[in-house]
Amino acid sequence: MAASAVTARTPHGRARLIALGHATKPIREATGMARAMLWSGAAITLFFIVLGVFAQWISPYGFGQYESGGVRFPQLAHPSAKHLMGTTVQSSDVMARVIWGAQTELKVVAIALVMSLSVGVPLGLISGYFGGVLDRALVLVMDALFAFPYLLLAIVIAFLLSNSSIGAGVFTAAIAITAAYVPLYFRVVRNHVISVREEPYVDAARALGARPRTVIRKYVFFNVVQNVPPIATLNAADAILLLAALGFLGYGIQPTQGAEWGYDVSRAVSDAASGIWWTGLFPGLAIVLLVTGLTLLGEGLNETLNPVLRRRRFGTIEFNALPEEVVPYE
Amino acid sequence: MGKRRRLLLAGVAVAAVTAAASLAASAYGGSKAGSNIIVDGTTGTVVNLDPANQYDYDSFTVDLTMFQGLYGFPNGAKLAPVLATGCSHSKNLKTWTCQLRHNVKFANGDPMTSADVKYSFDRVQKIKGDQGIWTLLTYLKTTTTSGPYTVVFHLTAPDSVWPYILSTNAGYVVDHKTFPANKIVPNTDVKDLIGTGPYQLTKFTPGQQAVLTPNKYYWGPKPKNGGVIINYYSKSSTMKLDLEKGNIDMAFQTFTPTEISAMQKESGLVVHSAPGVVIRYLVFNVKRPPFNSLAVRKAIAYLFPRQDIASRVYHNTVTPLYSMVPKGLPGAIEPYKTLYGAKPSVAKAKAVLKAAGVKTPMSIQLWWTPTHYGDASSDEYIEIQRALDASHLFKVSLKSAEWAQYSGALGKTYGAFQLGWFPDYPDADDYTVSFYQTNSFYNNGYSNKTMDGLIAKERAARTTKSRIKYLEKMQTLAAKTLPTIPYWQGNMIAVGRSDVKGIDSTLDATYYMRFWLISKS
Amino acid sequence: MTGTSLRTYLITRLALVVPMVFILLTLVFLLMRVAPGNPIEASLGGHVPQAAIRQIERRLGFDKPLYDQYGDYLWNILRGNLGRTITDNRPLSQIIEQNGAATLELTFFAMLVAIVVGVVIGLLAGRHRDTWLDVGGRLFGVFVYATPVFFLGLMAQLVFGVWLGWLPISDQASPITQALLQTHTNIFFIDAIWDRNWAALWDIVQHLILPATTLGLVTAGVFIRLIRVNVIRTLRDDYIEAARARGIVERRVVFHHAFKNALVPVITIVGLNMATLLGGAVLTEETFNWPGIGHELYLYLQDRDYTAVQGIIIVFALVVVAVSLLVDFINAFVDPRIRY
Repeated sequence: MAASAVTARTPHGRARLIALGHATKPIREATGMARAMLWSGAAITLFFIVLGVFAQWISPYGFGQYESGGVRFPQLAHPSAKHLMGTTVQSSDVMARVIWGAQTELKVVAIALVMSLSVGVPLGLISGYFGGVLDRALVLVMDALFAFPYLLLAIVIAFLLSNSSIGAGVFTAAIAITAAYVPLYFRVVRNHVISVREEPYVDAARALGARPRTVIRKYVFFNVVQNVPPIATLNAADAILLLAALGFLGYGIQPTQGAEWGYDVSRAVSDAASGIWWTGLFPGLAIVLLVTGLTLLGEGLNETLNPVLRRRRFGTIEFNALPEEVVPYE
Repeated sequence: MGKRRRLLLAGVAVAAVTAAASLAASAYGGSKAGSNIIVDGTTGTVVNLDPANQYDYDSFTVDLTMFQGLYGFPNGAKLAPVLATGCSHSKNLKTWTCQLRHNVKFANGDPMTSADVKYSFDRVQKIKGDQGIWTLLTYLKTTTTSGPYTVVFHLTAPDSVWPYILSTNAGYVVDHKTFPANKIVPNTDVKDLIGTGPYQLTKFTPGQQAVLTPNKYYWGPKPKNGGVIINYYSKSSTMKLDLEKGNIDMAFQTFTPTEISAMQKESGLVVHSAPGVVIRYLVFNVKRPPFNSLAVRKAIAYLFPRQDIASRVYHNTVTPLYSMVPKGLPGAIEPYKTLYGAKPSVAKAKAVLKAAGVKTPMSIQLWWTPTHYGDASSDEYIEIQRALDASHLFKVSLKSAEWAQYSGALGKTYGAFQLGWFPDYPDADDYTVSFYQTNSFYNNGYSNKTMDGLIAKERAARTTKSRIKYLEKMQTLAAKTLPTIPYWQGNMIAVGRSDVKGIDSTLDATYYMRFWLISKS
Repeated sequence: MTGTSLRTYLITRLALVVPMVFILLTLVFLLMRVAPGNPIEASLGGHVPQAAIRQIERRLGFDKPLYDQYGDYLWNILRGNLGRTITDNRPLSQIIEQNGAATLELTFFAMLVAIVVGVVIGLLAGRHRDTWLDVGGRLFGVFVYATPVFFLGLMAQLVFGVWLGWLPISDQASPITQALLQTHTNIFFIDAIWDRNWAALWDIVQHLILPATTLGLVTAGVFIRLIRVNVIRTLRDDYIEAARARGIVERRVVFHHAFKNALVPVITIVGLNMATLLGGAVLTEETFNWPGIGHELYLYLQDRDYTAVQGIIIVFALVVVAVSLLVDFINAFVDPRIRY
């Protein structure tokens, strides 16, 4: 194709492009349910990402805005033309808080994902590849952390950090979530590395004298990393639930720092008992939708990438001509 | 195989339908019976029931039904002798001699004598429980008895409010036969928690229920009901729903303002409300910039949005407060209103800042705590932020920490912070001395020689009139020097179903919930 | 040969539990000490003078060096003495008996709901892959998984408790029933049966329905997904083809062969979900005012009650460890490939 002709000057570059093509092939070949899930999940997730990134422009009001043009918003008002989803007990607009809430959720989850991936994946790679005492020790620590109910771990970490310079807020919540998920990434990556490490081609590379760093980089990493996207999206889904739970229990982000759906639902509990349904329903539905979107995306990815479940569309099977260098027998 | 399976499926279906139908038809409040038992709901938590180690309102509410002291508040907010018949004091107010009531029996039939009284006071001082109630007895040197019905208290300093101290649970009389002298009785050891009050605790499940039955040896008038069950809730919304369904007869402490507004409109419920003595105030660390400038504190006092907080946040279940001493207590005046106006004034605040040469808008940090005082704290401080920001004289950033961390930090770490106060005893002394003395419990660095002098004089005052004079002087001086800004006084609110009587008779400045006065028709 | 390697596996796994528990204990201790605030200030700050607070802290040993406190802590645990809580002087053993029993009651019935709902939908979805049944089942699974348990609980309370008025929305039992109930095991359901108190039992069951169903549904999502995947995997296996080739009726192939094997991981899933369930129990308990151990933990955490928090988390973790150990043993017994 045109693209490969332009960029793939070297055999190396060409090989990279082909590898990329291989990696995304399952997604392009996805069919039926898997495809529907993948794309609907992606659509929902994208919708919320857009909401979050462009909150400033999409939202009619700020998340803490309580007046407009000198006139205060009514308190706990029914959904109306001016306030499509009603207002809260602090006279804030519910829809504004839902939209800005998307930004908060995305910020926290993005930071948490980046942090847990950058800690969990390398640790898993190293531990799985080198084994030995380090591996045993790390496995013990991670298993211990795993046995700890993650909600409680997150709460305790939220305490710990609330006094430091970071203070409460987005970063604290993200770190609390990271602490809960690093063991999972570690475990998954490590297990995969262990199974890949015994593969003949890795053995061959080692026998040829390749340094561990090269082996990991060239052979193991790509193999293992294919596992990560579905887990990462499912983890993002979980992370949002965890953040909402923290907010519900009062350990998340305070309303003056930003809008957070879980906190809004916790305040809405007392409203609901008094017949005020809009303060809780909309943030709650937002959580359900975003997590559903991420889960569908994750499941879709899993279905398409996991060879056990993968269903291929049957097309024509082509046999590529063998490159000249590898003609078997002359 | 197939036939058996089909029969099984049919059976399951029939069972399911029956269950659903009976569910729909059932009145699940299985025990709306128990005709004369009052079921009360509360969101509080009991910490300790042993009076020697009890210093929080929710534990106190239970103890109030079980124990009594030499003095108390049997009718309204007037201090009166209860287990004593009277006390006299020496001229220097350091020795107090009290005569005890005769023929008082504990809930297990044991007779109460001066030995029990001495034992109770000695016990509090010896155990020095970690809840700190023993600090109320700081001035008590020894307790001696003179015959079975006379007790003498020897104090280390003159204390004109000693009878008030006797009315707190530091002075509750316990049965020396069932309470160990050097250990706290655990909450579930109900057979040892014996007092002289109108009820006896027959069952206690921590976090869930306290079951109180009438004390058959009680010396006073019989309770108007056959028993009380206090049901503990973690959320006020579930409590509200249970009240509406009739699972509980009444609820006391604490609904959110939104819930109270909603319940005021409901026909089956009655919201009983009366001016109370809980206050909310802002504390300044007067040594920490920018709050070390009196002009800054004055400006905030001029801008304080008391009306907005009372109406918008609390739906008028609180009233604006203009002194640390709430209205309704003898000696209460309103110096903050006199000095800073009843309503906020941007002009005056601007003037005072300009005169002091303070650059505006000035950035300040206000601290508050999320759950300890209820969720409305968040709304409260947002209102304060809005009012201060709208004046363009300040730029407020709000910071919060949850209670366990907050309560240890206070003045040590924060410059301006939220606090609430619930009295040990309903007297103006309890709303002034601990706040204004040098080395107050919240470490705000306030130290004023004149104030300390006034405090000493108040404590040594021999007549009520002179005591009140000093209390008024203290309040005025405090309003001038601004260590704190009081802003609301909370109503005492209890919600009952329409068939519950007697709640109004117990709503007063003591904030006591006297369950023995409540009945159902 | 099988016998010895199973035994070796058992011993190795058990041996690994010890350092893991030790790490957990240390972790809990450190986290609690490092967190700002201490239990004394939490209860007394704001109304007791600082000097008195310091005095009390000294008496309780909070100013001893950290390693001293750590040593005391470990020594007490080894003797099985979890102590009494600092704030309300309650023996940890009582908390575990009473509140632990309440959580056990809730999680047991929730697990039951999760298994029934999850298995039925998972089996149907897997069997009829790519039909509407499958799509519906999977969507349902995703939705209940995505719904936070407190939100679902809130909606359930509103619909069934407030608007329809069919079911109670909080507590384990009505106040008077609870006051009169005799305690034998602290599990209300069993205690009512013990005394043949049928009115009380009915009351208790009604109070169980909403919380157990809410928690169970949310957990079912995971079950649906995993069982469905397993059914699909099993239906592809060779022996299924073989059975079909032998001419066995499709229905028997599905029920007798495929489903039975697909259900084997249910044990594993139950075990793996123990920790999730215990964590989710906190939220359910808060929503429904269920007096479980998660709720107690939440309260004691707020008060920084070291002893209480340490004791409860240790018990939590030990339960999770024990269950996962049991699950591993059963799996190792059933499937020799899994051994160490």
